[in-house]
Amino acid sequence: MAKKSRITARLMLAVTAVTLLGACAPGQVEGEGGPGQEPLTVESVDPAEFKGKTLNYVYFTDGPDEQATRSLIGDFEKKFDVTVNLEVLPYKDLVTSVQARLSGGNVPDVVRLTGLTDFKADLLDLRRYLGEKYAEEFLPGPLVGAAGENDQLLAVPSDLTLNGPFVNVDMFKKAGVELPNPEDPWTWEEMIASATKVQQATGSQYAFAMDKSGHRLSTVLNQYGTTLVADGKAVLDADKATKALTPLVEMMGDNRMPRDFWLGSGSRYTGANEIFLAQDAPVYLSGNWQVGQFAANAKFEWAAAPNPCAENCGGFPGGKYMAALAEGKNPALAAEFIRFMNTAESQKTFIVAGGFLPTRKDLAEEGVAYPARQSDMDVFLKDLSRTPEVGYSANADPAFAGSATELVNAVSEVVAGKTDMPAALKKVQDKSQALVDELDR
Amino acid sequence: MTAVQTAPPRKRKSSLKMGLVPYLFLLPNMAIFGLFTIWPAINGFNISMYSSSNGRTFRWEGAGNYQSILTDADFWGIVRNTVIYAFAFVLLSVVIGVVLAVLVDQQRRGRTFFRSVFFIPVLISPVVVGLVWNWMLERQGGLVNTFLGWFGIPEIPWLVDNNLATIVVIAVGVWMQVGFYMLILLAGLQSIDPSVYEAARVDGANRWRQFISLTFPLLQPSILVVVVLATIHGFQAFDYIYTLTGGGPVGATTLIVQYIYENGFVSPIRYGMASAGSVLLFCAIFALTIINWMVGRKREAA
Repeated sequence: MAKKSRITARLMLAVTAVTLLGACAPGQVEGEGGPGQEPLTVESVDPAEFKGKTLNYVYFTDGPDEQATRSLIGDFEKKFDVTVNLEVLPYKDLVTSVQARLSGGNVPDVVRLTGLTDFKADLLDLRRYLGEKYAEEFLPGPLVGAAGENDQLLAVPSDLTLNGPFVNVDMFKKAGVELPNPEDPWTWEEMIASATKVQQATGSQYAFAMDKSGHRLSTVLNQYGTTLVADGKAVLDADKATKALTPLVEMMGDNRMPRDFWLGSGSRYTGANEIFLAQDAPVYLSGNWQVGQFAANAKFEWAAAPNPCAENCGGFPGGKYMAALAEGKNPALAAEFIRFMNTAESQKTFIVAGGFLPTRKDLAEEGVAYPARQSDMDVFLKDLSRTPEVGYSANADPAFAGSATELVNAVSEVVAGKTDMPAALKKVQDKSQALVDELDR
Repeated sequence: MTAVQTAPPRKRKSSLKMGLVPYLFLLPNMAIFGLFTIWPAINGFNISMYSSSNGRTFRWEGAGNYQSILTDADFWGIVRNTVIYAFAFVLLSVVIGVVLAVLVDQQRRGRTFFRSVFFIPVLISPVVVGLVWNWMLERQGGLVNTFLGWFGIPEIPWLVDNNLATIVVIAVGVWMQVGFYMLILLAGLQSIDPSVYEAARVDGANRWRQFISLTFPLLQPSILVVVVLATIHGFQAFDYIYTLTGGGPVGATTLIVQYIYENGFVSPIRYGMASAGSVLLFCAIFALTIINWMVGRKREAA
């Protein structure tokens, strides 16, 4: 009898637990009323209606852009008689912080993002306030990452970056090695040969340095005619990737590239700029955002160089977006704010301060005058025209960030001798495919 | 025949009341425990059955997340790292903790100073510990290699070599926690009746014999507590490792909590996978704790 009642009690406990679990389904479950597709109606809002309203802008800074942003916000506040709360977060906390705020109902109006992967379902279709033609003001490449399904405009590309190499002009001159010609880019072989000659002639510790970054590795892959993901597919070509990555692994094997830097561990930023600034490497692959930093800190003559060519020339694009959250309190004001911050005049102020490249067609056509190092910025601008379009779609793909991390891990494993290149690339292909499958569902 | 007297009903009611009183006092604590521990645990288990890429739209996966984790070759490498770390951490924590506890128990001069010295690392934020040791162990320009360089010792790749990085992570972890375990063991030592040692001395037992035959057996309840706590700490290690090595080089110091963190907080965010990883970790720690207690109780009984 006692046994029977114990069994009954256990059964009841199990039923209660199952009921409890069913009752605490986390948030909104798919298929129970997600955001539906509505026909596009452009809202017309009288700017006078914005008066006295408040807008929250969640932002991360690359450094010098923050002051320009604050200045532009001041102009916007004056023009529309509104208040903008600028909340500057560390970049690494941005996604989790905004997600937590979305879950908690404390939704910011506008956010600055490097990609839309984590928020696509939450973003406002800016066409509803800015119209369908608005997107035409921007270059098609950067727009790829801002588009939603069904041609929505989920963000505005607010600045553009491009990966590319820098050279230590003093070391090249000292070694008597010819500097690269911005009009006629190096091949990869020529770049490595030149860097090695400079290393040998000057006795520098390394010939070539590169940020430990999947984005930078993707630059090399693109130049060799392959990429990680494109058009929602994992497309890495193992043969081309082997050709692209083998020289890097070899250079790390014979100390022409800092092996320790690549394998060295820690959670600090993994840029090799300090190696270049210490004149320990005559060539450094990074990107245009380093121009301002080198202008301020380099104690030697340096220059931006065109990206080396293999099958393709040009670099790999990146950049940031301004997006509005659909659940924000003032979507019309948010859209107007994004429009204001990305007029030709505002964008010029912003990118000149930050050392970025323009995303607007008009600015790209007329050119941008930077207060210093114009010739270096022009090298990047020139390389933009050589950059294959596939780079934009690769960078915009939801599976790119994860795949790029897998690529860095794979190269590290090869450098450490834990695996060989074919096995490492097979792993990258499998992991990229799994990410594509997961994020496409 | 005498009538059986039953207790007067008023008295029974009062004892029932008295019996309830302790539970009433426990109620606020139980409510807080339920709200902030039990409920999140149940909800975490629930989330582990869903997948979500944006943290708000969830898709039912059933055991899919568990299957993904358990069939991931990288995960088993991380499990291996974690087991190695936890085993070494527990062993060294107990051995060094016992040695330190015996030493600070015996010495007379400056006992407070030495106890504080060993305990201070427990008070430092683990994130700061990781950053400071990262700075000290940098291959070029790091404090340790600079110091070794004065004696002609070449630079040592502390955080670049897989094995060295693993040793560094274990050593820093033990350094950070051992003061806490030392205090528990010290309390255990001081609860041993001094007359036991007097009797042993009268019988001619030297210090080593006293330690082996008296101190160690009598300290076993405290050692058991330390083993249980160190096992839990060992399996949950993350914060200082993340800032010290970031899980590198080449994943050599990536432990399970970092795997959970990266699934839950690094894009693409997978709350379901992170929760499933947490449930698996909970099960592992729970099982090990039970085994520890059972082994400890058996020994005590023997």
